[in-house]
Amino acid sequence: MSTVEISHISKSFGSLKAVDDVSFEVEKGEIFGLLGPNGAGKTTAIRVLLDIFKPDHGIVSILGGPMTESKKDRIGYMPEERGMYQDIQLDRCLVYLGSLKGLAPAEVQRRITGYLQRFDLVSSRHKKVKELSKGMQQKAQLITTLIHEPELVIIDEPFSGLDPINTQMVKDLLRQQRDKGVTILMSTHQMHQVEELCDRIVLIDHGRTVLYGRLDEIRRQFSGHAVIVRTPDQLPALPGVEHVEQHNSSTYRLNLMPSASTQDVLRNLVERGIQVDQFEIAAPTLDEIFIRVVQKDDQEQGER
Amino acid sequence: MSKFWRIAYHEYSRHVFRRRFLLALFSVPLVMVFMVVLIIVIIRMDSNPTPIGYIDHSGLLANSIPQPAAKWPERTVPMRAYTDETSAKADLQAGKLQVYYIIPEDYLQSGQAVQIYLKEPKGIATQQFDAFLTANLLANQPAEIANRLLDGSNLIVQSTDKSREASQDRFINILLPLLAGILFIVGMSTSSGYLMQAVVEEKENRTMEIMVTSVSPGQLMSGKVIADIAIGVTQLLVWAIFIILALVIGKNYIPFLSGLKFSGEMVGVIIAVMVPAFIMISGLMAAVGATVSEGSEGQQIMGLFTIPIWLPYILIAVFIQHPNSPLAIALSFFPLTAPMTIALRIGFTTIPTWQVIVSVIILVLSAIGAVWLVGRAFRLGMLRYGQRLHWKEIFSHQRV
Repeated sequence: MSTVEISHISKSFGSLKAVDDVSFEVEKGEIFGLLGPNGAGKTTAIRVLLDIFKPDHGIVSILGGPMTESKKDRIGYMPEERGMYQDIQLDRCLVYLGSLKGLAPAEVQRRITGYLQRFDLVSSRHKKVKELSKGMQQKAQLITTLIHEPELVIIDEPFSGLDPINTQMVKDLLRQQRDKGVTILMSTHQMHQVEELCDRIVLIDHGRTVLYGRLDEIRRQFSGHAVIVRTPDQLPALPGVEHVEQHNSSTYRLNLMPSASTQDVLRNLVERGIQVDQFEIAAPTLDEIFIRVVQKDDQEQGER
Repeated sequence: MSKFWRIAYHEYSRHVFRRRFLLALFSVPLVMVFMVVLIIVIIRMDSNPTPIGYIDHSGLLANSIPQPAAKWPERTVPMRAYTDETSAKADLQAGKLQVYYIIPEDYLQSGQAVQIYLKEPKGIATQQFDAFLTANLLANQPAEIANRLLDGSNLIVQSTDKSREASQDRFINILLPLLAGILFIVGMSTSSGYLMQAVVEEKENRTMEIMVTSVSPGQLMSGKVIADIAIGVTQLLVWAIFIILALVIGKNYIPFLSGLKFSGEMVGVIIAVMVPAFIMISGLMAAVGATVSEGSEGQQIMGLFTIPIWLPYILIAVFIQHPNSPLAIALSFFPLTAPMTIALRIGFTTIPTWQVIVSVIILVLSAIGAVWLVGRAFRLGMLRYGQRLHWKEIFSHQRV
């Protein structure tokens, strides 16, 4: 059974349709990417999922059924709008928010020490939250998301405001959580992070699902009939190749005729004694797919 | 401990154990104590213990008895008899007397005496000489007549059914509901002000989403409501302890306070009116907190509610003269003005039972309405960062 099942949900605010018939499932123990341009409806979808907003239509199932009060203790949520009580000390804030996840304050106190060490926040534990830098507050927020060892983590833009070292640390942390069996739903714009971390994604735009499935399948679906070849040799004319684009001094993109197969192209290269350093199917990056899909969707929306 | 109590404790402790709150809490009683000390010091300074002299030509003070001892903080002034004016005058000039009196032979007929001083004596001193003279004039009268005359008159006005009475000595009983009303409203304003702030703060700190995904909106709001009521009650309790102490101590020295008496009926009516009023106003303030995006904006709207709450206090003169006028009755039925109006009227009149019942029913319905309003405003407005929620949206059919 999936950890999260969203089935045909819609939510409007006045005349604005923020989410329109969106469906997806998040499997247990995976890192799932919820993608979309600004204003696509990602945050609204997350809020509906967490029962902050009631959907106008559709069904949400989380951890095996509708949201309940007791399930809140099994979910860790880091919203896009980072929120901490600015006017109190960091450790007091963490203990309070942790205790609202069903832990005894003494237990929270014991757990935060480890996290503060890991996140390099020990020296700031008695400082007021407002005295911490944005990055530090972001890390503190992550502690509140994970301290109660949730089964499901929903995290909106986990890397915003983090330097490369902390970004790497958060990535390691998310992988670690996944390895422990935690399900992670991550919403972000940073496509290369999604490519590194996520197994499956859903891309929504204008409130609607425009892409959904396994990341490798989606990339295959979007790959054109082309190969990337890296070689120090000069490329001769090859049968089945329609057009050659040179990317740099040694890398070429070979656009193939519809009838040609990639296997034939490789065989031809080898037979001609060309040194092949790299030969791969030209799959687009997630960034390219994202731009292509969103632009197409924008055009369609414009035509309507 | 349930989440509800954790929220309540967090909310309570972070306000009450703050220096700013403690300062405000104790500043009022401290100012009161300071005023009392100041009054005592002034009385002590005004009551000059330098003797008062007299030359008695009438013979009325031949075997004089001393005047009743002055009550603290006043000091008793010794009376000194002189046989001739020359020595009295010499002592006055030497500063051994503050004033001396010449009682003429025909004093009983004329009632006139001569007062001689270098610097006009304070009223406290001359009152003691009057008391000395009166005590001696009545010395030969039977004790009960003497005491009767010394006690003076006390006019008591009674209602025809004798259920209520007012007198000069018990004037404090008229002021009591008024004072209770003011105190209650101050406490209520404190609580509801904190409540509004508490709701706005969650928005300002962007913690609302984390809160509502950790606890239910009901737990969140009730935890805050209980905590903020407790803050108001803490404040009232500390002030009430000081006031009661002041009254108990003051009762012994200030005759004005000696008629102090609590009426069960009065206390009952005030509580019946104030409890739903408290819930209603707290609900309205929390709703304001849920609709605005910043605390300062909320303070302005809060001011609009505060004016009608205090309006009856401004109209106090009208209520004293006509406590049962149509205006007074109308204001007793308007939810925001009712608590103060009832508290004021009850001191000056017997409010017909039906009016109290109607007022309480209106207040209870308003309280229910306010709780509904805050629930809706909260769900609709909780995630509006930097954007106001319009009142018409609350009453729209939007699903929350």
